[in-house]
Amino acid sequence: MFAMENKQNNSRKTKSKSAQADHLQAAIDYGIDVQALIDNAGRSCAERIKRHQIALNTVESLRKAREL
Amino acid sequence: MSSDFFNLLERLVNAGVDFVIVGGFAGVVHGCTYVTQDVDICCDFSIANLLALQTAISDLDPVHRMTPGRKKLQLTEQTCGQFKNLYLDTKIGQLDCLGFIDGLGDYDRVKRASMLVEVGDIKICVLDLDALIKTKRAMNRPRDKEALLQLEAIKKLKKSPDSKR
Repeated sequence: MFAMENKQNNSRKTKSKSAQADHLQAAIDYGIDVQALIDNAGRSCAERIKRHQIALNTVESLRKAREL
Repeated sequence: MSSDFFNLLERLVNAGVDFVIVGGFAGVVHGCTYVTQDVDICCDFSIANLLALQTAISDLDPVHRMTPGRKKLQLTEQTCGQFKNLYLDTKIGQLDCLGFIDGLGDYDRVKRASMLVEVGDIKICVLDLDALIKTKRAMNRPRDKEALLQLEAIKKLKKSPDSKR
Protein backbone atom coordinates (compact mmCIF):
# COMPACT_ATOMS: atom_id res chain seq x y z
CA MET A 1 0.00 0.00 0.00
CA PHE A 2 2.76 2.38 1.07
CA ALA A 3 4.83 1.51 -2.00
CA MET A 4 1.84 2.17 -4.20
CA GLU A 5 1.28 5.61 -2.64
CA ASN A 6 4.95 6.40 -3.16
CA LYS A 7 4.72 5.38 -6.78
CA GLN A 8 1.66 7.60 -7.27
CA ASN A 9 3.42 10.54 -5.60
CA ASN A 10 6.49 10.07 -7.79
CA SER A 11 4.32 9.91 -10.86
CA ARG A 12 2.55 13.13 -9.82
CA LYS A 13 5.92 14.83 -9.24
CA THR A 14 7.19 13.71 -12.64
CA LYS A 15 4.04 14.96 -14.34
CA SER A 16 4.32 18.30 -12.54
CA LYS A 17 8.00 18.64 -13.51
CA SER A 18 7.24 17.84 -17.10
CA ALA A 19 4.37 20.37 -17.10
CA GLN A 20 6.81 23.03 -15.92
CA ALA A 21 9.31 22.15 -18.62
CA ASP A 22 6.44 22.28 -21.11
CA HIS A 23 5.67 25.84 -20.02
CA LEU A 24 9.15 27.00 -20.94
CA GLN A 25 9.07 25.11 -24.21
CA ALA A 26 5.58 26.46 -24.97
CA ALA A 27 6.87 30.01 -24.51
CA ILE A 28 9.82 29.33 -26.82
CA ASP A 29 7.54 27.71 -29.42
CA TYR A 30 5.23 30.73 -29.29
CA GLY A 31 8.17 32.98 -30.12
CA ILE A 32 8.67 34.52 -26.70
CA ASP A 33 12.21 35.69 -26.07
CA VAL A 34 12.89 33.56 -23.00
CA GLN A 35 16.36 35.08 -22.64
CA ALA A 36 14.68 38.46 -22.10
CA LEU A 37 12.58 36.86 -19.34
CA ILE A 38 15.74 35.42 -17.79
CA ASP A 39 17.40 38.86 -17.95
CA ASN A 40 14.33 40.40 -16.29
CA ALA A 41 14.41 37.78 -13.55
CA GLY A 42 17.78 39.19 -12.50
CA ARG A 43 16.41 42.72 -12.18
CA SER A 44 14.61 44.37 -9.29
CA CYS A 45 10.93 45.32 -9.60
CA ALA A 46 11.98 48.99 -9.71
CA GLU A 47 14.31 48.30 -12.64
CA ARG A 48 11.58 46.39 -14.50
CA ILE A 49 9.14 49.27 -14.03
CA LYS A 50 11.78 51.77 -15.17
CA ARG A 51 12.62 49.77 -18.29
CA HIS A 52 8.92 49.36 -19.06
CA GLN A 53 8.49 53.12 -18.75
CA ILE A 54 11.33 53.73 -21.20
CA ALA A 55 9.75 51.29 -23.68
CA LEU A 56 6.32 52.88 -23.24
CA ASN A 57 7.73 56.38 -23.75
CA THR A 58 9.37 55.17 -26.97
CA VAL A 59 6.09 53.67 -28.20
CA GLU A 60 4.24 56.91 -27.38
CA SER A 61 6.89 59.06 -29.11
CA LEU A 62 6.73 56.92 -32.24
CA ARG A 63 2.93 57.06 -32.24
CA LYS A 64 2.98 60.85 -31.91
CA ALA A 65 5.56 61.13 -34.70
CA ARG A 66 3.32 59.08 -36.98
CA GLU A 67 0.38 61.38 -36.24
CA LEU A 68 2.31 64.53 -37.32
CA MET B 1 2.07 64.70 -21.46
CA SER B 2 3.55 61.18 -21.59
CA SER B 3 2.61 58.35 -19.31
CA ASP B 4 4.30 58.03 -15.97
CA PHE B 5 2.91 54.99 -14.21
CA PHE B 6 5.28 55.17 -11.27
CA ASN B 7 4.16 58.73 -10.53
CA LEU B 8 0.54 57.61 -10.75
CA LEU B 9 1.10 54.73 -8.32
CA GLU B 10 3.21 56.84 -5.98
CA ARG B 11 0.36 59.33 -5.69
CA LEU B 12 -2.08 56.57 -4.76
CA VAL B 13 0.26 55.14 -2.13
CA ASN B 14 1.02 58.54 -0.63
CA ALA B 15 -2.70 59.34 -0.46
CA GLY B 16 -3.33 56.13 1.48
CA VAL B 17 -5.45 54.53 -1.23
CA ASP B 18 -6.07 50.83 -0.63
CA PHE B 19 -5.26 49.04 -3.89
CA VAL B 20 -3.49 46.11 -5.52
CA ILE B 21 -1.84 46.24 -8.95
CA VAL B 22 -3.39 43.61 -11.20
CA GLY B 23 -3.49 42.89 -14.94
CA GLY B 24 -0.78 43.59 -17.47
CA PHE B 25 1.23 45.93 -15.28
CA ALA B 26 1.39 43.32 -12.52
CA GLY B 27 2.91 41.07 -15.19
CA VAL B 28 5.52 43.73 -15.91
CA VAL B 29 6.40 43.88 -12.21
CA HIS B 30 6.85 40.09 -12.22
CA GLY B 31 9.14 40.27 -15.26
CA CYS B 32 6.99 40.12 -18.41
CA THR B 33 8.60 41.86 -21.36
CA TYR B 34 5.57 43.36 -23.13
CA VAL B 35 4.53 47.01 -23.00
CA THR B 36 1.17 47.90 -21.51
CA GLN B 37 -0.54 51.22 -21.91
CA ASP B 38 -2.59 51.32 -18.76
CA VAL B 39 -2.40 50.39 -15.12
CA ASP B 40 -5.11 48.15 -13.74
CA ILE B 41 -5.71 48.20 -10.03
CA CYS B 42 -8.21 46.37 -7.88
CA CYS B 43 -9.32 48.63 -5.08
CA ASP B 44 -11.66 48.95 -2.19
CA PHE B 45 -14.74 50.70 -3.54
CA SER B 46 -15.65 52.23 -0.20
CA ILE B 47 -16.55 55.92 -0.25
CA ALA B 48 -13.45 56.92 1.74
CA ASN B 49 -11.11 55.01 -0.55
CA LEU B 50 -12.64 56.31 -3.78
CA LEU B 51 -12.52 59.89 -2.51
CA ALA B 52 -8.88 59.42 -1.50
CA LEU B 53 -8.15 58.09 -4.99
CA GLN B 54 -9.87 61.10 -6.55
CA THR B 55 -7.87 63.51 -4.39
CA ALA B 56 -4.61 61.75 -5.29
CA ILE B 57 -5.10 62.37 -9.00
CA SER B 58 -7.24 65.51 -8.96
CA ASP B 59 -4.57 67.72 -10.58
CA LEU B 60 -4.11 65.27 -13.45
CA ASP B 61 -7.44 66.12 -15.16
CA PRO B 62 -8.95 62.68 -14.60
CA VAL B 63 -11.84 61.73 -16.88
CA HIS B 64 -14.04 58.67 -17.36
CA ARG B 65 -12.45 57.47 -20.58
CA MET B 66 -15.31 55.20 -21.59
CA THR B 67 -18.14 57.69 -21.30
CA PRO B 68 -19.33 59.80 -24.21
CA GLY B 69 -17.58 63.16 -24.00
CA ARG B 70 -15.09 61.79 -21.48
CA LYS B 71 -16.84 63.16 -18.41
CA LYS B 72 -14.71 64.64 -15.65
CA LEU B 73 -14.17 62.50 -12.57
CA GLN B 74 -16.33 64.18 -9.97
CA LEU B 75 -17.05 61.67 -7.24
CA THR B 76 -19.07 62.65 -4.22
CA GLU B 77 -20.15 60.66 -1.18
CA GLN B 78 -23.50 60.23 -2.90
CA THR B 79 -22.19 59.05 -6.28
CA CYS B 80 -19.38 56.72 -5.14
CA GLY B 81 -21.84 53.87 -4.65
CA GLN B 82 -22.84 53.95 -8.34
CA PHE B 83 -19.55 52.51 -9.52
CA LYS B 84 -18.26 48.94 -9.65
CA ASN B 85 -15.32 49.87 -11.88
CA LEU B 86 -13.74 53.16 -12.93
CA TYR B 87 -12.01 53.47 -16.29
CA LEU B 88 -10.00 56.65 -16.05
CA ASP B 89 -7.62 58.63 -18.19
CA THR B 90 -5.26 61.18 -16.69
CA LYS B 91 -2.47 63.43 -17.98
CA ILE B 92 0.06 60.76 -17.01
CA GLY B 93 -1.69 57.60 -18.08
CA GLN B 94 -4.76 55.42 -18.04
CA LEU B 95 -5.87 53.99 -14.74
CA ASP B 96 -8.49 51.26 -14.56
CA CYS B 97 -9.90 50.67 -11.10
CA LEU B 98 -11.70 47.36 -10.68
CA GLY B 99 -13.80 46.15 -7.79
CA PHE B 100 -13.80 42.49 -8.79
CA ILE B 101 -11.27 40.27 -10.54
CA ASP B 102 -12.29 37.19 -12.54
CA GLY B 103 -10.88 34.02 -11.07
CA LEU B 104 -10.24 35.62 -7.67
CA GLY B 105 -13.18 37.68 -6.49
CA ASP B 106 -13.57 40.97 -4.65
CA TYR B 107 -10.93 43.32 -3.26
CA ASP B 108 -10.47 41.42 0.01
CA ARG B 109 -9.65 38.21 -1.85
CA VAL B 110 -7.36 40.04 -4.24
CA LYS B 111 -5.57 41.72 -1.35
CA ARG B 112 -5.01 38.34 0.31
CA ALA B 113 -3.40 37.09 -2.91
CA SER B 114 -1.04 40.05 -3.17
CA MET B 115 2.53 40.73 -2.18
CA LEU B 116 4.30 43.93 -1.15
CA VAL B 117 6.93 45.17 -3.54
CA GLU B 118 9.44 47.91 -2.80
CA VAL B 119 9.89 50.40 -5.58
CA GLY B 120 12.08 53.35 -4.70
CA ASP B 121 10.81 54.77 -1.44
CA ILE B 122 7.38 53.23 -1.59
CA LYS B 123 5.83 49.83 -1.07
CA ILE B 124 3.15 48.75 -3.49
CA CYS B 125 0.78 45.77 -3.32
CA VAL B 126 0.97 43.62 -6.45
CA LEU B 127 -1.02 40.50 -7.23
CA ASP B 128 1.27 37.52 -6.69
CA LEU B 129 2.41 35.40 -9.62
CA ASP B 130 0.16 32.38 -8.98
CA ALA B 131 -2.93 34.56 -8.57
CA LEU B 132 -2.09 36.53 -11.69
CA ILE B 133 -1.79 33.29 -13.67
CA LYS B 134 -5.13 32.19 -12.21
CA THR B 135 -6.87 35.39 -13.32
CA LYS B 136 -5.37 35.27 -16.81
CA ARG B 137 -6.54 31.67 -17.14
CA ALA B 138 -10.01 32.59 -15.86
CA MET B 139 -10.39 35.45 -18.33
CA ASN B 140 -9.27 33.22 -21.19
CA ARG B 141 -9.10 36.09 -23.69
CA PRO B 142 -7.07 35.56 -26.87
CA ARG B 143 -5.04 38.70 -26.07
CA ASP B 144 -3.95 37.20 -22.76
CA LYS B 145 -2.37 34.16 -24.36
CA GLU B 146 1.12 35.62 -24.66
CA ALA B 147 0.95 37.14 -21.16
CA LEU B 148 -0.04 33.75 -19.74
CA LEU B 149 2.79 31.99 -21.54
CA GLN B 150 5.27 34.57 -20.24
CA LEU B 151 3.94 34.30 -16.68
CA GLU B 152 4.12 30.51 -16.69
CA ALA B 153 7.66 30.66 -18.07
CA ILE B 154 8.61 33.16 -15.34
CA LYS B 155 7.18 30.80 -12.72
CA LYS B 156 9.25 27.99 -14.15
CA LEU B 157 12.39 30.15 -14.19
CA LYS B 158 11.84 31.10 -10.55
CA LYS B 159 11.63 27.43 -9.60
CA SER B 160 14.87 26.56 -11.40
CA PRO B 161 17.70 28.79 -10.24
CA ASP B 162 20.01 26.91 -12.61
CA SER B 163 18.15 28.35 -15.58
CA LYS B 164 19.13 31.86 -14.49
CA ARG B 165 22.41 33.31 -15.59
